[in-house]
Amino acid sequence: MRLPIPVRPRFPLGPATWPGGVERPPAKKRTGVDYDTSWARRYPVRMARALLLDGVTKPVVQALASPTIDGLDRIQDLPAPVIFAANHASHLDTPLLLTSLPPRFRHRAVVVAAADYFFDKRWKAAFNAFSIGAVPMERTKVNRRSAIEAGKLIEDGWSLVIFPEGGRSPLGWAQEFKGGAAYLAIRTGVPVVPVHIEGTRRVLKKGAKRLTPSHTNLTFGRALRPLEGEDSRQMAVRIEQAVAELADEQAHDWWTARRRAASGATASITGPDAGAWRRSWALGEHKRGPKRDRWPA
Amino acid sequence: MPRPGFVLDVDRSTPPTLFWHGEGFRLERLPTGSRVIYPPEAHEPLDDPDEAIRQALLNPHGTDPLPALLKPGMKLTIAFDDVSLPLPPMRRPDIRQRVIEAVLDMAAAAGVDDVQLIAALALHRRMTEAELRHALGDRIYDAFEPHGLLTQHDAEDPSKMLHLGTTDQGEDVEINKRAAESDLLVYVNINLVAMDGGHKSVATGLASYKSLRHHHNVRTMQHSRSFMDQHRSELHSSNWRMGKHIAAQGVKIFQIETTLNTNTFPEQFAFLQKREWEWKLQDRARYLAVSKSLDRTPPKLARSIFQSIKAPHQMTSVQAGEVEAVHAVTTDNVYKQQLVEVQGQTDILTMGLPYICPYNVNSIMNPILVMCLGLGYFFNLYRGQPLVREGGVLIMSHPTPWEFNPVHHPSYIDFFEQVLAETTDPLEIEAKFEESFATDPWYIHLYRTGHAYHGVHPFYMWYWCAHALEHLGGVIVVGGDVRAVRRLGLKPASTLRDALEMAQDVVGRDPSITHLHTPPLLIADVK
Amino acid sequence: MKALVFERSLPRFAAARVAGGLLPGAGTRVGPLRLADLDPPELPGPEWQRVRPRLAGICGSDLATVDGKSSRYFEPIVSFPFVPGHEVVGELDDGSRVVIQPTLTCAARGIDPMCDWCDSGETNRCERTAFGHLDAGLQTGYCSDTGGGWSLALAAHESQLHRVPDDMSDEAAVMVEPTACAVHAALSSGDSEFAVIGAGTLGLCVVAALRTLGTPHVLIAAAKHPHQQRLARELGADMVVEPDALPRAVRRAVPHSLIAGDQLTCGVDTVIDCVGSDASIAQALQIVAPGGTIVLVGMPGRVGIDLTPLWHREVSLRGAYAYTADDFAKAFELVQDAKLERLVSATYPLDRWREAIDHAAHAGARGAIKITFDLRKERGR
Repeated sequence: MRLPIPVRPRFPLGPATWPGGVERPPAKKRTGVDYDTSWARRYPVRMARALLLDGVTKPVVQALASPTIDGLDRIQDLPAPVIFAANHASHLDTPLLLTSLPPRFRHRAVVVAAADYFFDKRWKAAFNAFSIGAVPMERTKVNRRSAIEAGKLIEDGWSLVIFPEGGRSPLGWAQEFKGGAAYLAIRTGVPVVPVHIEGTRRVLKKGAKRLTPSHTNLTFGRALRPLEGEDSRQMAVRIEQAVAELADEQAHDWWTARRRAASGATASITGPDAGAWRRSWALGEHKRGPKRDRWPA
Repeated sequence: MPRPGFVLDVDRSTPPTLFWHGEGFRLERLPTGSRVIYPPEAHEPLDDPDEAIRQALLNPHGTDPLPALLKPGMKLTIAFDDVSLPLPPMRRPDIRQRVIEAVLDMAAAAGVDDVQLIAALALHRRMTEAELRHALGDRIYDAFEPHGLLTQHDAEDPSKMLHLGTTDQGEDVEINKRAAESDLLVYVNINLVAMDGGHKSVATGLASYKSLRHHHNVRTMQHSRSFMDQHRSELHSSNWRMGKHIAAQGVKIFQIETTLNTNTFPEQFAFLQKREWEWKLQDRARYLAVSKSLDRTPPKLARSIFQSIKAPHQMTSVQAGEVEAVHAVTTDNVYKQQLVEVQGQTDILTMGLPYICPYNVNSIMNPILVMCLGLGYFFNLYRGQPLVREGGVLIMSHPTPWEFNPVHHPSYIDFFEQVLAETTDPLEIEAKFEESFATDPWYIHLYRTGHAYHGVHPFYMWYWCAHALEHLGGVIVVGGDVRAVRRLGLKPASTLRDALEMAQDVVGRDPSITHLHTPPLLIADVK
Repeated sequence: MKALVFERSLPRFAAARVAGGLLPGAGTRVGPLRLADLDPPELPGPEWQRVRPRLAGICGSDLATVDGKSSRYFEPIVSFPFVPGHEVVGELDDGSRVVIQPTLTCAARGIDPMCDWCDSGETNRCERTAFGHLDAGLQTGYCSDTGGGWSLALAAHESQLHRVPDDMSDEAAVMVEPTACAVHAALSSGDSEFAVIGAGTLGLCVVAALRTLGTPHVLIAAAKHPHQQRLARELGADMVVEPDALPRAVRRAVPHSLIAGDQLTCGVDTVIDCVGSDASIAQALQIVAPGGTIVLVGMPGRVGIDLTPLWHREVSLRGAYAYTADDFAKAFELVQDAKLERLVSATYPLDRWREAIDHAAHAGARGAIKITFDLRKERGR
């Protein structure tokens, strides 16, 4: 059987064809960086998001990741808005960080998300904008327009959650921090709170198909402010250093971490500068063997 | 701009006055012509406490900046005030955590490895893990405690004490060995009242019974008028002699003192910090809700509710450096916040006693502590001369239940049952019973291994009252457990009106009456 | 002759047990004790005399009997019906006053030769209390042949009679029998540190006996009620505390004692328990020193206690029953020296026996110590 060929209605019943000699103006893109998220910050949507975060996301995160949250006292007196800059290893990081924030930040925060991944389709963009308050941004180099947008959000009192690595780390070690968070901090003068997230890889690795409930740790650091004459590159290094110190603090203890930090001995979160197998080896994930039945009980 | 404290003259339009009554309140109508002393309002706190602490450490009084005193390979000891300060316990983060983290940051930068933390609790009970975590924060606790580097002063472990000789007046000076042998001893104070800090920090906080008995005794307390005024306090003179002696023995102390504003109670108890006629609808509603529901709450539950209050205290100043120079600034700052000028003494002083004193944090306010809070602490909240005239009467309001915490206060129970059953005279008690309690191996065991105050501690509570007992013509407790009040040697009354009638038998007719409207704390500057 | 008589009646006995269990003293309403008109007891032999009671005390063991609480151990050594009352001061036909030593031993029972204990003077340990020409009965007041103190007349053997000096009041004389118990207990415990549990008649007499006849280094008394505490202090206790506070007081009084669980590591050499309940014996075990002695002066009955500390700390648990003639003689002196007549709080005529027993059952709470029947003004005497 032959399928009927669809017949396009002719002009003027259908749209006119474009004349060959006339240049087509570029289509107005409405996805990616150009996606307008302002609807997601209107009051009713914020209320709905708050309900979703507290009523659904939080219990789910608790069940999956049972996080231990440290260092809340360091941000207790901090006036909003601030920029939270965290390492990034898993899709779980965002809901985990959002639900771990004190309420005054949580319900007035936007997550800076990669435009090419989270905003590539309209339904995805809408979902992300609604559920986590995502705003789109370029992964690599922040362009002027999105910087201005972000600056406006901060001026309106919105805190930003940024993962300065520009994406989830593929192998467990963090990637070098990019300058976006630092740039915004210098531009707007708000402090950057370094955040270290540990353990989310165990729950949901990049590329993993299954969720494995496990324990995670989240540590807030002391806010960093741009120093006199500091550029965004230098500050990004400082932020990365701060997250590395938090990682050390989480793995050992605060005093050890402070001493190593003071003597410049803090291990980098990007891992040792060595061959691939040594990098993986040093990560220590090989220690977790297959689950054994415990006996007795 | 916070308003200073003031003295209200009660007339017929004055609303009833709020009296604390343990885990509850009473609204009492004072006779016209009475005076009510209100504390000053809370001063503005420091904007950025962490930065202020850093600046204080970098710009100390009378010594080099802290980083200059820290050298790799040195022995550093950080001592800090115990659970008795501040009152009520403050919201996290505690000042001690902020200060000690700042000190440790500098120590880390200087490459100091040998650091120990000591809770300077003298003969107080050992702090629990939760209390230490609250005071120091989890970061410090987790970093130091597992390695045995966070310890609590143990005055009964001879191997951990060091006798530094005697002062020119023959007073033994024996303090914590680790502290004495350190290259630098940093002491972190919370100066809630003018009595705290100065040389008393080390000479008392890190001392042993052998050393403490030279100033914790009846004679000293009777000659401390008051111990809130260090220049007229024999307690402080003795501590100062010891402090100078400790310094002369080569112990280098870097003192850090902090002061708090009187922001004592959280939002739902805001009415406690306001003057009655300024209570808004919300305050009245809260008062009614709180006091009505407390009436229906079992005492145990009420106690645990009150004990869970965390005060929104804020830091008003921090200063560091040489002990005496630092303490002079601190005392000024405490006075600035707490001093209220009062003209002349009174025949009858009334006061409402709250649910807490320095020695029942997370515990029960037993009758001896009620006595000590009223006659020891509140009576001594004066500078110049006592608020009440010699031979006058003190009326205090507290339920005074016959109840003890057997874990925290074992020796108090025996003191109450056995010593007070025999006599309430401080001198007689001191002569006849002190030594046997102080050396009782069971109390020592509980002090060292449990969470018990030392066997001699209830005696100190009683000595604290010695000045008041000598000065006053009578003490009446309103609304207290009659048997317990009698055991204390005081007179029970069921209402304030009855108490005022009874007091007139002592002070005569038409007495002058003054009410101390506290806490929040104040110090009466009696002219 | 008017007398209170205790009859064998199982239903009434059971009812008394239930009622007495609910409220001490309630056994009088439903129990086997009743006021009756009896013939005076016949004199069982030539060495017997008629005694007309003047005052007759109500003792703790009487109360246990009335409430059906006494042990079934007594069944073979009492005989029904009996007239209770063994704390008796009375007068002989010639008008002279006597106190009765109520134990019915070989001498009174006409047993010859006497048992070894009676022979050696320790008559309280007599082996023949259920034998001889008398009906069974360990004391006057539990024997159907002799009668008892709660009546207008009883029969007493010459060996049971102790003359009362003229200057001694009846109130003092009625205290001699319980005091003799206390003297016996005090003389048989020779150490230097004592704790006395209970401050009823017996407890207070024990305090007085220890203070007067012994040389106690430490004497701590546990007393529940204020009047008991005052009396214990007056009679010579170094320290008087509430029962709950006793372990703490003992710990303070005995140097170097620590506490492990509820157990004092050291303690007093001798604990004299004048209560005889589970709780009091358990407390005695808490506070007695290793190798020490617990003396039960109060009649214990059936108790349930954990004896592990007794075994582990080699503690002796010992009874102290009644008295010898010597003890009685000393008791006379003690009553006079310590003015123990002050322990007699109230007297009742026989007609008001229910009130009297109720008062005695609640003596502590009602501010009393010893309640007695006053038979001096009874008609038909």
